[in-house]
Amino acid sequence: METRQITVIQAAAILISTIIGVGVLPLPLFAVRAADSGAPLVTFLGMMVAFVGLVFITVLGMRFPNKSIVQYSEDILGKWFAWLGSAFIIVFFAVLTSLAAREFGEVVVTSVLKTTPVEVTVIVMLLLAAISTRNDTTTFAYIHHFYFPLLLFPALLIVALSLNNGDVINLQPIWGNEPNGTMKGILTIAALFQGSFIMTLVIPSMRRPERAMRASIFGMLIAGGLYVILVVAAVSVFGAEEIKQLLWPTLELAKATSLPANILERLDAAFLAVWVTAVFTTLLSSYFLTIQAINHLFRLRDHKIFSLFILPFVFITAMLPQNIVQLYGIIETVGRIGLSLTIGYPGLLLLISIFRKKRGNPVGEKNLDKNS
Amino acid sequence: MLRGFKKSKTKSNAAVPSLFLEEHKNDRVTGNLEDTITFIKGILGVNDDFSMRKFHVFGKYPAAMFYFSNMINQTLLNEDILKPLMYPPSHLEGRSIEQDQLKDVLLNETLYHSEGKSEQKLATLVEGILRGGTVIAVEGIEEAFFVGMRSIEKRSIDQPATEQVIRGPREGFIEPIGTNIGLIRYRLQSTDLRIQTMEIGRRTKSTVAVFYMEGITNPDLVKELNKRLSKIDIDAVLDSGYLEQYIEDNHLSPFPQVQYTERPDKVVANLLEGRIAILVDGSPLALVIPTVFSQFYQTVEDYTERYLLMSSIRMARLIALMFSLVFPSLYVSIISFNPELIPTEFAVAVAGGRAGVPFPAVIEVLIIEISMEVLREATIRLPQQVGGALSIVGVLVVGQAAVAAGFASPITVVIIALTTIGSFATPAYNAALALRLLRFPLIIMAGVFGLYGVMIGLIVIANHLLSLKSFGVPYLSPLVPGDFQGMKDLLVRGPLWWMRKRPAFLQPVDETKLGGHTYEDLKNTEENVLDPSKYQK
Repeated sequence: METRQITVIQAAAILISTIIGVGVLPLPLFAVRAADSGAPLVTFLGMMVAFVGLVFITVLGMRFPNKSIVQYSEDILGKWFAWLGSAFIIVFFAVLTSLAAREFGEVVVTSVLKTTPVEVTVIVMLLLAAISTRNDTTTFAYIHHFYFPLLLFPALLIVALSLNNGDVINLQPIWGNEPNGTMKGILTIAALFQGSFIMTLVIPSMRRPERAMRASIFGMLIAGGLYVILVVAAVSVFGAEEIKQLLWPTLELAKATSLPANILERLDAAFLAVWVTAVFTTLLSSYFLTIQAINHLFRLRDHKIFSLFILPFVFITAMLPQNIVQLYGIIETVGRIGLSLTIGYPGLLLLISIFRKKRGNPVGEKNLDKNS
Repeated sequence: MLRGFKKSKTKSNAAVPSLFLEEHKNDRVTGNLEDTITFIKGILGVNDDFSMRKFHVFGKYPAAMFYFSNMINQTLLNEDILKPLMYPPSHLEGRSIEQDQLKDVLLNETLYHSEGKSEQKLATLVEGILRGGTVIAVEGIEEAFFVGMRSIEKRSIDQPATEQVIRGPREGFIEPIGTNIGLIRYRLQSTDLRIQTMEIGRRTKSTVAVFYMEGITNPDLVKELNKRLSKIDIDAVLDSGYLEQYIEDNHLSPFPQVQYTERPDKVVANLLEGRIAILVDGSPLALVIPTVFSQFYQTVEDYTERYLLMSSIRMARLIALMFSLVFPSLYVSIISFNPELIPTEFAVAVAGGRAGVPFPAVIEVLIIEISMEVLREATIRLPQQVGGALSIVGVLVVGQAAVAAGFASPITVVIIALTTIGSFATPAYNAALALRLLRFPLIIMAGVFGLYGVMIGLIVIANHLLSLKSFGVPYLSPLVPGDFQGMKDLLVRGPLWWMRKRPAFLQPVDETKLGGHTYEDLKNTEENVLDPSKYQK
């Protein structure tokens, strides 16, 4: 029996640092492609869509405070359907891990380590995540808790410094000029929030699962708020048309800013270095989710064996896309398809569980003690 | 052949006194003086420092006294033991003492020593002699007297060499555990201070004392420590460091999970927070458990001087600590991968300095780093008379010459010098050592992957720290998991009246440390006593 030690703040920190990842770098591009100057609005709507999924997960988690989605889906759907759903979840998050690792590998190879093969940067990130997943859930929470200020601070710094160059006119009209791809864009951006699925693993380890909703709201607000602010900053500095020419507008934003007093002339390399932590926490979460899901599916005691066992598969998946263009095509498609798993599937489960009046056991009194 | 082997084995058993003693563990004093003498002399008699003195108690009863002559105080022995035993004291004069009363009379009315008792087991007596006691056996008494009269030469109490302070007590522990226990009791005159002693070390039989505060320290912690200590079965415990390596949680981690100190006041402060201290006879360093990372950059002085000043100094120490870990690797990655980060003029100057250096930055930094480590190690070993001079020659002249020879760039020398100095600003030597060690993999990562590599390295280190535990306490408490009370004493040192609670991560029995209204009461009574306007002639 794992101890219930995760507090609300830690749960929110896990959400935030999981959501904020490599997806932030192309985020303004996705948003602008969907609705020009309406990008902030699209981002906000995308966040709302993702929030619906998170609410499903959280409500389900609170109905079954001792179980993860793999376990309670068996109660709700019966063994075989649940098995299928869980298998999809496992495969999806393994793919998500590999895509995130590849995406960041490409970023590093393109902008900093120009002569390093992308395989090396990808395998380094994956190894880092794989080794760190060998810890228990409590340490997993500690890791997220430790890094989340490190991730908010540089992003906010970049935003604050770039506001110098921003122009409000770039943000108008706030509805956007040609709102035809808006729906697709909202889904693409909602897909960037898919890491919030980790909540299903966090709730069974929370000290007080009844407060999980609070953590979800805070986590989504801060992470989503940062997304919106970053899009606002990028659009106001570059303008919508300019952003369409940039692959990673957030990185360009860092490039365009410099610290006062000329301490560091350019911030992009430093930003990217700090951003390694953000990518690491995201990778860690999706990798951890994959492994724990396998663990719960096969009812194993120890998840450590799998952490290195699935590494080759994830690595090979990461290396499948031929180039960046294809990579982003896949990321957008996989992300949108994945929404049916991260929003549709929990929604379905919730509906059936209400319909069939299924509930998990409430947390025993013993578990509320400080250290039990 | 088998028989022959067996025979030789039993023979060698008999030859080793400790095994012989083990075999005769339950033998008792028989009352026959000759038997006792044969037994003790058989075990210890070979040694030249062993003394046996035969005499007659009250001129009548034959007796013998055993001791190691260099471990006892001879004058005291003569005056307080031998004399009253030979001359019946005045209050016994004229009384005729029978054989059956003799034991009680001797123990209760004759022996002028507080630490005296009677003992039946021969093995215990021998162990007592080894520890520095004196044993007196008398013909016809089925017990022997044991008098603890140990007197070992010891150095005086002086300033702790590794933990000096400008403001604060100047005492440090010395080697004998008795003195150290006294130093702690003197600072913590409380009925709640508990001291448990045990013997560890099959041969050295070192006394190990465990200190904790009843009613503050979590009892489970004491239990766990005793469990770990009782499992240690080694030959020798020559220093508390031997124990540290057995009781720590993660043996592979470079980070120390047990703190050591030679300051009694620090031990007392830690006991009052709910920690446990361990002292070992013969070691001037006490161990303190459980340990968290923040302890390694805190000093006693942080609390004795005013909080505003010490908070800023603590920040400086933290910067030095970070410096000693990442500075060289940051330098390497910026120079070799991202020179565009630093201002152009500076980048040009650095490039100019490096113009004649044939190696890449990472090799250059590694070479200078390693030679710095060699110099540092050499300065410790050097005799004191030449140490100062040679280290100046070593660092200044060699550094200057290396630059002049085009072997290293001046900026590299500056960076390494700053790093080395920074590592000495960390109060805990073992933590500084860990960071210094971790610097090398970071430099190599920087040489291979630039800033990206440094970050990867730092993440690995941070993850390790986050998963590390000392007796179940997360190593980075109170930062992670967050504890608001503890944060007041983390990066800055909050005013003493802010810290009303003991650290929560130690789960103390009694949490409150400060009376509720001390600060408010002091503020209320403030009054301008010597206001100049009141001054009337």
